[in-house]
Amino acid sequence: MRTRHLVAVLMALVLMVGFSTAATAGTLTDIVKRGELRVAVQSGAAPMAFVDKNGKHTGAMVAFVEDMAKRMGVKLKILDFDWDGLIPALLSGKADMLAADMTPTLKRALKITFVDPWYYDQLCIFTKSDAPYKTLADIDKKDVTVGVLLGSTGETMAKKILKNAKIKSYKGGGRMVINALLAGHVDAGVNDDMAVLTALPDYPANSVRLLDKRLGSKAPLSFAVRHESINLWQWANLYFKTVRLDGTYDRIIHYWVESTEWAKDHK
Amino acid sequence: MITNFNFRVVWEYMPLFMQGLRNTFLISLVSLILALAVGIIACGCRLSRWKLLRGLAIAYIESIRSTPLLVQIYFFYFGLPTLGLRVPELETGIIALMLNSGAYIAEIVRAGITSVSSGQIEAGISSGLSYFQRMRFIILPQALGVTVPPLLGQAIVLVKDSALLSLISVMELTRCGQELTSERFMPAEGFLTVAVLYLCIYYCLKPLAGWAQKKLIFREAY
Amino acid sequence: MIAEYASRLIQIIPFFLKGLLMTVVVSGISLVLSTALGFILGILRTGRSRLVSRSIGLYVDVMRGTPFVVQIFIVFFILPEWGLQLDALPAAILALTAMTSAFICEVVAGGIRAVPKGQWEAAAASGLNKFQQLKLVILPQAMRTILPPLVGQYVLMIKDSSVVSVIGVTELTRVGWQTVVRIPEGLMVFTLVGVLYFVICYPLIRLSNSLEQRLSQESVRL
Repeated sequence: MRTRHLVAVLMALVLMVGFSTAATAGTLTDIVKRGELRVAVQSGAAPMAFVDKNGKHTGAMVAFVEDMAKRMGVKLKILDFDWDGLIPALLSGKADMLAADMTPTLKRALKITFVDPWYYDQLCIFTKSDAPYKTLADIDKKDVTVGVLLGSTGETMAKKILKNAKIKSYKGGGRMVINALLAGHVDAGVNDDMAVLTALPDYPANSVRLLDKRLGSKAPLSFAVRHESINLWQWANLYFKTVRLDGTYDRIIHYWVESTEWAKDHK
Repeated sequence: MITNFNFRVVWEYMPLFMQGLRNTFLISLVSLILALAVGIIACGCRLSRWKLLRGLAIAYIESIRSTPLLVQIYFFYFGLPTLGLRVPELETGIIALMLNSGAYIAEIVRAGITSVSSGQIEAGISSGLSYFQRMRFIILPQALGVTVPPLLGQAIVLVKDSALLSLISVMELTRCGQELTSERFMPAEGFLTVAVLYLCIYYCLKPLAGWAQKKLIFREAY
Repeated sequence: MIAEYASRLIQIIPFFLKGLLMTVVVSGISLVLSTALGFILGILRTGRSRLVSRSIGLYVDVMRGTPFVVQIFIVFFILPEWGLQLDALPAAILALTAMTSAFICEVVAGGIRAVPKGQWEAAAASGLNKFQQLKLVILPQAMRTILPPLVGQYVLMIKDSSVVSVIGVTELTRVGWQTVVRIPEGLMVFTLVGVLYFVICYPLIRLSNSLEQRLSQESVRL
């Protein structure tokens, strides 16, 4: 009886190791063979990726990857994570691709490969409309608390240039920072201007104001894949070139990002 | 994987981990003291002769025991601003921990007090001792032996519960692990280190509970 | 205003019920697995081999000494590096099972140890082998001590299942979090979540209490 057990354990180990070996045939090939594209998106981040009033995953990012999966001829599986969980999810193989409004920083690029940008935005400082802050110098003071999103470029930038202010990182999504601002936990926040502007309609009108000057320079936003997923990377780049030409890109961006049309159907 | 473990990064983040460890310790201590106060008061109400106080205490204790701590934390974190109250995250977390542990401590203290056999109380009454004298000389010393070990157990639970505060951005030990992971994309170095540090706390507190158990068993006068 | 509040509430209730179902499913599966594993570990813990007993003791210490939220992060983000890639739901079940089985192990071991030595000797003298002794004589008696805390562990598991929301499992707490990020009505959302947990936990707590009373009465008869 003991030999049988030993053989069973060995077989289990072999299977485990076998399944865990990285796909050397190419991620795209695996996806097509598997029939399913797994994408990591941020959770609770309307209009990029969120769960709508019907309980469905939806948003700009989801719209793009749904289209991708359709053109690939596979099913789509959406996995949602907190912002700081996206890259670990991609790296650990839980997802084939990361679809978010993520800035391709050189530090991140050491670990993952970014697809060509699908949009551009810039970091901004935002605060309550009735707060007295007008410039960066007003914020960079010892008694000011600034909220940032854990794992974001806003966090990195804030820690770099705001030497005097207290920085508090929030786990979850950009909305956690806005909530914290309105609840009085922080005096100001730093995040991508697009992320803030697209979230504002959910909050009382004129409660949040962006400071005039943006931080840093215009930054790209990209999807990402693992280093070894070269064929998937090339496919995704070609995808974005294609949809820019055939009108799909304009349609999605207009509906989700540049207007609030999506709110009628999905909020 | 063991060979890939990046000790250099762990060492680089050690100051942060130490800060988190210190904060976890302080948060747990403050919450424990406050919870003791809440628990004793709640227990007093629970054993009171007035139905209203008893009812309130029972409602409080049963709601805490039948709902998860995380839900209680989120309740205060997201709910208090709805009422217009601006409570910083740390204080919100401590309130949640205090109310949560307070309910369990109330039950522990109640079990301790009711464990003293009625014969002892009758002997006290027939010896002419007042309520407070009975409490001080007969009931409480015996109740202590039954109460202190579970209280230390609750202290250990409280340290682990404080980890949930990381989800509302309180800078305690677990949050340090999250920061390392999100800045360096190294979940192993982040969370395994944190786990080991929590185990250190556990192995410091556990013998204390065992020692208290041994020492105080003598007090159970028969 | 109240009408709008009520209509919001009615609109979100179906999602919360789905979340509650997921909570029950996750807890239920983990319950079955951890009971099986816990009993096996508990029996081995009281066995003759000191190496086995100490190893299991170490496992129990690690599970009891680290916060569940840290354990969940380790299962979800670190195990893949060691070859075990899991989706959120299986990872949650694995982590819950691993932790609760450690607690159940201790409960079972305690129950077995509480059976008087004479029972083992009498069973052996009746010609039963070790396995039969355990199955026919010891365990049935141990169940009296094991059952109430076992039901208590189930309640704890349902509450701990709320923590798996951090890796994205759409159980009740996660639904609450997703909703409150979308519509900032913190008080309403988490009161609803709390009530739903109460509805499934409170009866179980009462069951555990009544079991404890009934089973302790039986032993008095002995």
